[in-house]
Amino acid sequence: MLPDQIRRALTLHGLTPATWIPDASGGREVEATIRVARVVEGPALGWHPVGLATSWTEPLAFLDGVQRSEIVPYAGAAPIVVARIAAAVRERRDRTLSTVLETSRTLVIARPSALARAGEALAGLDTLALPEDHPPHPVRDLVDARRALDRARGALEIGLGERYRETGDGWLIVDGSLAESPRWAADPRMIGIAKSHATLPFEGDDLERYLRLPHGQRSSLFEPQTRSLAPVRSWALRLWPWEGRDLLYGLVRIEVAPVNGSPDAADRLSRFLLAERAPVSAPDLCWDRLLYGISAVEQYLRARLV
Amino acid sequence: MIALRPIGRVVATELKPSTPHQFYFWTARDTPVGIGAIVRVEEAGRVVFGVVTDAVAYSDMMTPMHAVLGADGDPGAMDDPTRRAEIRLFSASVLRQMPEEPLQPVPIGPVRLASDDDVRLALRMDAYTGRDRATGIPVGVYAAGGLESPVYLDCDFLLGPEAAHLNITGVSGLATKTSAVEFLLTSIFQTFPVHKGSVAAVCFNVKGPDLCFLDQPAVLSDEERRLYARLGLTPTPFTDVHYYAPFKSDGVNLNTLRSHEALAANTRPLVWGLREVLDYAEVLLNRDDVDAKADAFIDFLGERVVGRDYRDDTLRTKPFNVQTFADLEEFFRAIFDFVEAMGKGGEVWRTHHVATIRKVRNRLSNISTRSKGLVTDDGTASDLPWGGFADRNVYVVDVAGLDPLAQDLVFARAVSRLREHLERRDLGVDHVVVFVDELNKYASADGSDTYVRKMLLDLSERGRYLGLVLFSAQQFRSQVHRRVVGNAGTAIYGRMDMDELATPGYATLSPATKIKLATLPKGELMIRHPHFTQPIFVKFPRPPVMTSREGLDRFPPATGLSFPDAVARQLRTFDRHISTDGVHALVEGRAEPDVLRALAATRRERPADPFAFFSACLGRRVTPEALTTRRPVPSIRHADGDYGS
Repeated sequence: MLPDQIRRALTLHGLTPATWIPDASGGREVEATIRVARVVEGPALGWHPVGLATSWTEPLAFLDGVQRSEIVPYAGAAPIVVARIAAAVRERRDRTLSTVLETSRTLVIARPSALARAGEALAGLDTLALPEDHPPHPVRDLVDARRALDRARGALEIGLGERYRETGDGWLIVDGSLAESPRWAADPRMIGIAKSHATLPFEGDDLERYLRLPHGQRSSLFEPQTRSLAPVRSWALRLWPWEGRDLLYGLVRIEVAPVNGSPDAADRLSRFLLAERAPVSAPDLCWDRLLYGISAVEQYLRARLV
Repeated sequence: MIALRPIGRVVATELKPSTPHQFYFWTARDTPVGIGAIVRVEEAGRVVFGVVTDAVAYSDMMTPMHAVLGADGDPGAMDDPTRRAEIRLFSASVLRQMPEEPLQPVPIGPVRLASDDDVRLALRMDAYTGRDRATGIPVGVYAAGGLESPVYLDCDFLLGPEAAHLNITGVSGLATKTSAVEFLLTSIFQTFPVHKGSVAAVCFNVKGPDLCFLDQPAVLSDEERRLYARLGLTPTPFTDVHYYAPFKSDGVNLNTLRSHEALAANTRPLVWGLREVLDYAEVLLNRDDVDAKADAFIDFLGERVVGRDYRDDTLRTKPFNVQTFADLEEFFRAIFDFVEAMGKGGEVWRTHHVATIRKVRNRLSNISTRSKGLVTDDGTASDLPWGGFADRNVYVVDVAGLDPLAQDLVFARAVSRLREHLERRDLGVDHVVVFVDELNKYASADGSDTYVRKMLLDLSERGRYLGLVLFSAQQFRSQVHRRVVGNAGTAIYGRMDMDELATPGYATLSPATKIKLATLPKGELMIRHPHFTQPIFVKFPRPPVMTSREGLDRFPPATGLSFPDAVARQLRTFDRHISTDGVHALVEGRAEPDVLRALAATRRERPADPFAFFSACLGRRVTPEALTTRRPVPSIRHADGDYGS
C-alpha cells in the first residue's frame, strides 16, 4: 500500500492527515563522536603506500539500502510515520552491474496507542511500535521513529547480505560497517566501506595524522572500538588527493574480517579499491568517497522506490 | 499470434510525453532495435505500431569532466571496472493505432519487435493482401532483429486508379534506381492481379547500357534467391522484351550498345518519317520560338501540305506531294524562290511571314540533320507496335545515343501516343508503366517550360485515370519539378547525398533517418506509400536480369560493321538463315541510298522471303557497258567548184 492510500484510509478513520516528509528521511543520522581504536600494525599509527590501482579480477557485488518516510496522519499529538525501506545487491560481471537480490518493506511506525487508534485501517501492514515511556511529542517521536527505521533498514541489509553470501563466493562490498553483524564481521569475502567520519577512531596527534593521510596510501591497521561483539580490522584509505580541498576529501575507512587483517591483504584490497574510484559517482555530493557500485545500487533502489 | 518478448518499455515524461503520433521507449544496451525498426506497444486493449525514427544514448555522467577525473586525465587509462548505467532511448512515430478511435496518446507499456502479422497490420497491408482480389505487389522485405517480413505496395495506389506513379531518388552508381525499377517491374509482372487487367512497360534507356539486357538472366546468390522465395517471386528475367533503337547516321547500324548479333532478334530500328516528326514539332521549338505564328504555319503544313497533294500555282504548276523531308525541302525552296522573285513587298506568303517560314524550316531540317538515324528521309517509319502492346511485355526505347533534342522528341511522341491509345482503349493493354531516368533533366524544377516538362506534368497529374503510370528516377529529387514528384504516390529513396538531404524537401525526416539514408547499403531502400504513414526501410534482392557491366562483357557491342555486314545483320532479324556473303554479293556496287530504301521496304512489308523481297526491291543490277570505239564520221567530200557539181 502506498503512503497516499494509507493517508486516505487513516483520514477516513478520523485521524488528522499530514503530508510532511522529514528532512532526514533519506538516510541514517549518526552522532559525531570519537571512539579510540587500537593500532594493530606497528607501534604507532603510520602511513603505508599501497601501490598502483589494480583491477578486481574476481566476481564482485555491492550492497546498499535506502529508506523513505513521511508522516501521514497524527493521532492526537503522536505522528504516524509510513516508511519504505529497501535493499539490493548488484553484482558486476563483464563490467556490467545487474541486480541479483533485492527486498523492500513498508512499515508503519508509531506509538502503540497511535497504532491502536488507526485500528483496522492498517490491517495487513507491518507495524513498528515506538517506546511509550514519555508523553507524545511530535518531534521527539519523529527522532525515535527515525532510529527505529535505521535499525529496520540495517536489519534488511544484513539479511540480504547474508543471503547473497550464502549463494556464491563473490566479494561483497557494503556501504557502512561490517560490525553491524557478527556474520558479516567474520566473512572473509566482505568489505565494509564507511564514508561517514562522524565516528573517528583516533584523537590528538594520531587523529591529525589519520586525517592527513596522503593520496594512494592507507593508514596502519587498527581495531575499531565497537559497541557490537563483532571485532573487525580496519584502515583508512585516501582515494583522491585532499590537499587544497578538505581533510575528509577522498578518505574512506575500510572494514574487513580479522582474517583479512594482514598488511599484505590490506594493501591488496586497497589497490583493488583504488581502481574502483572510476567511474566517479558524481553528481552525488560524496562522490569522492562513494564507490560507483554502491551509488548504482542506491540509484537503482531510489528509482524503484519512487 | 505469438507475442515476442518485450525489448523495451515506453517512457513518457513531461518533457518527452507520449502523443497520438509519437512515443519514446528505452531498451537494453544490446538491443536489436535500430532506426527504421517497426515496434508494437500493447497495453490495456490498445495496440500501437510505430517505426523508430531517432535514438539517443547517454550515461549517468553529468559532465565530461567526471570522465577526465575518473581516468586521472589519462585517455589511455584502463577501462572503468564498472560500466556506467546507460540508456538507449528511442523515439518512434506512430504507424497505426488499434482501435483507431478514439485517437489517444500511446500507452505506457512493453515494446516488442513487430512480427510478420504486426508488420502487415502496422503498414495497413491487411487492407490489400491476404484476401480475395488482393492487390499487393511485393517490394522487398522489412528486416529487424532477425525477423523478416515481406512488404507489399497496393497496386491500386501504384498503377492507379486510386493513386499512381513512382519516383526513385538516389546517388548514381550504387545500383539503386535502375535495379529497384527492374526488380519492381519483375514483381509487378509476376504478381499484378488478373482482375486488374493487363500491364506493359515502356522504358526509355537514356544512358549507356542500363536497360540493355533485361531479357538476360542474372547470376544470383543463394541469399538473393532466398529473398525472392520469401517474397513469393521467381528470379527469372523478362521473357518478352522488345528493343527499339534509332540508326546511326549511316542509316543501317543501330545506335545502341545492344548491338551484339546474339541479341539482334528482338532489337528493332526506331525510325520516323516526316509525319511522325511534324505532329510533335512543338517539341523542337524552344521557348523563344513558341509563338502563334510558328504554330499556325506548322498547323498549315500538317493539315494542308504533308501527306496530300497540295497545289499552288504561284509556286509551281505541278502539285506538291510532300511525304519526306526531301519533299518538304523542295516545298520550302519553292516558297523561298517565290518570295525572292516577288522582290520588295514579298516577305509574306499566304499570310505567313518568310521569317516564320524560315524558322520552322530550320527547326525541322535541324532534326533531320542532327538525328539522321532517327529521322528517315524516305518516309518509311519503323515504330513501336501501337495498338499491339501485349500483356507483361517490356518495350525498351534506347535513346542513349541520340542528342537531347531528339531524345525529347522520342519521349514526347512515345508518351503522347501511349496516351492517345489508352484514351481510346486500343493500345492492347490496360496499364502502361513508363520508366524515365534522369528526370531532373526532363522535368527540372528551375529549367525552362519545355514541351516535355509540360507533358510530364500532365502525365503525373492525369495519367492514372488512363492507366498511364510514370516510374521516374533521378539523382536529386530537389531538382525535379515538385508537381511531378509530388504526384508520385509512391516514393523510393536509395542512398542519398547529404547535401541533397539538407534541402527543404527532406525536412520531415529525422536526423537519424537522414544519416541512415546517407549510408544506406546496396539493396536497401526507404519507401513512402499512401498506406504507410511513415517511411519504411526494406531490403530487396538484385533484379533477375543481367547487369549492364555483365551484359557488355558477355555481349560486347558490334562496333564498326561495314555497310554490307550491317545490312546483312538487319536482314537476319527477319530470317536468320540469310548469309552475310549472299548480302555482300547482292549489295556490292549498289548505291547506299538504294540499298537503304530496299531495306526499309523489306522492314515495312515483312515478306515471307525477306532476301528475295530485298533483292527484288534492289532491282536488276545495271551492268556497265563498255564503250566501243566509234567509227569516225567521214568527212564531206567537197566538189570542185564552190557550189558543187
